[in-house]
Amino acid sequence: MKTLLKTTLITLVFCLNTLHAEENKADVMNGAQVWTDVCMRCHNLRQPADLSTRAWKFSMNHMRIRAGLTADETRDIQAFILQSKSTVDGTQ
Amino acid sequence: MKYLAQHSKVLMHSVILSSMLATMASADNGEDVTVLQVAQEQNALSGFQLAGYASFGYSNTKDVHDGSFDLVNFSPIFHYGYSDILQFEGEVEFSIAADGETEIDMEYAAANLFLNNYMSLTLGKFMSPIGQFRQNFHPSWINKMPDAPVGFGHGGAALSSNVGAALRGGLPKVLGIRHNYVVYVSNAYTLEVAPDGDVDIVAEGSTANNNGTAPTFGGRYAIDPIGGMEIGISGAYGKIADLNSSSNPDKITARDYNVLGADLTYHIGNFDLRGEYVEQNIGESTDPLGIEGGKWQAAYAQVAYQIDMLHLEPVLRYGFYKNPELEQKQTALGLNYLFSNNIIAKMAYEFGNRTSPDEDTGVDTTIKTDKFLAQLAFGF
Repeated sequence: MKTLLKTTLITLVFCLNTLHAEENKADVMNGAQVWTDVCMRCHNLRQPADLSTRAWKFSMNHMRIRAGLTADETRDIQAFILQSKSTVDGTQ
Repeated sequence: MKYLAQHSKVLMHSVILSSMLATMASADNGEDVTVLQVAQEQNALSGFQLAGYASFGYSNTKDVHDGSFDLVNFSPIFHYGYSDILQFEGEVEFSIAADGETEIDMEYAAANLFLNNYMSLTLGKFMSPIGQFRQNFHPSWINKMPDAPVGFGHGGAALSSNVGAALRGGLPKVLGIRHNYVVYVSNAYTLEVAPDGDVDIVAEGSTANNNGTAPTFGGRYAIDPIGGMEIGISGAYGKIADLNSSSNPDKITARDYNVLGADLTYHIGNFDLRGEYVEQNIGESTDPLGIEGGKWQAAYAQVAYQIDMLHLEPVLRYGFYKNPELEQKQTALGLNYLFSNNIIAKMAYEFGNRTSPDEDTGVDTTIKTDKFLAQLAFGF
């Protein structure tokens, strides 16, 4: 039982570490593609200006769960939306 | 005297200059504080967001003439996140009953731990992953009709929620095809007799142990073969707690229970196509006087088309719902006006009928349930 618990904990830590190692990789072009393929399936697309930069992060994690996205796809879509938002907002 | 006048002048200038400097300094400090606050908020590891949706409207059933503003719903969704490790989500649904009482339901409340690129662990009460409507299409700003298809509302054939644990996520593309999955284990549902005598599967997640009734195992697997499309199959297997054993009212008996679901969504150009089928099967009771088992099934098909120039969206939906005691069919025509992508005015006319045994004679009787609905819905 103890071995099983240890193995589970080590696996969890490894998984979390893997996640952190994958941070800061974002493919904006892929984000645009997944955005049109996945998001429009269920609902009308929200404009990038609809939400704040911070709110998009929570919304994208929500959609990662609901739409069955990978972490990479989630980051790609977020990068695409925030890039579009910064263009619209005039901050870039 | 001259000295005094000059001194007063210098003093006055000093006071004015000091005031100006103080004002400028405080303005700079204000901006600094604002910039600092924004930076802190953007860079904080954890944070909180309020999202959700609301809808308000009118409905009138043709032969009953019960027209009233009876569509009132407000569903705030709370999101709390800690970096890319954890996200909590909770939705509370507020609605007003016919007697004016406010009804509150916890639609879901679950913690999601992101384990790796392809998997997250969900713990708590979560929307049923069987099919798509309950999980993804039911919010009023997403649903293209003012109400749910027959059999897909609360207490129908479609499952609402589960209390338990789930593993879910997206999978790596294979031959350019996107995949996603959910597998879960949850507390058993219950089979009850409502006050009006109808037999109901209570497909809402509960925390009851139900005398040790075995848990339900289920899942959904879906593919997106061409982009903009999703084809999903789902199912669940386990036991259901029968709370109505006639020979011993206090006894809870576990009965066989399984669920099958299939769904299709396709968005191409301005067309939006959706279809879904779900069935729940209850095994026969070991109690000779127990409630009969049977099949609860429902399906719908829907097509919508957005006319961009006019901000209009006509919708056509057909659906049916069948259980051992009744059968409902419905064809609905709707027209939506999009003020924006998340603010929608909807009008619909539903042609429907309901067949069930007459209470006195026991002979099947069909009544019309034609209905007009109008609704304003928005997501935030």
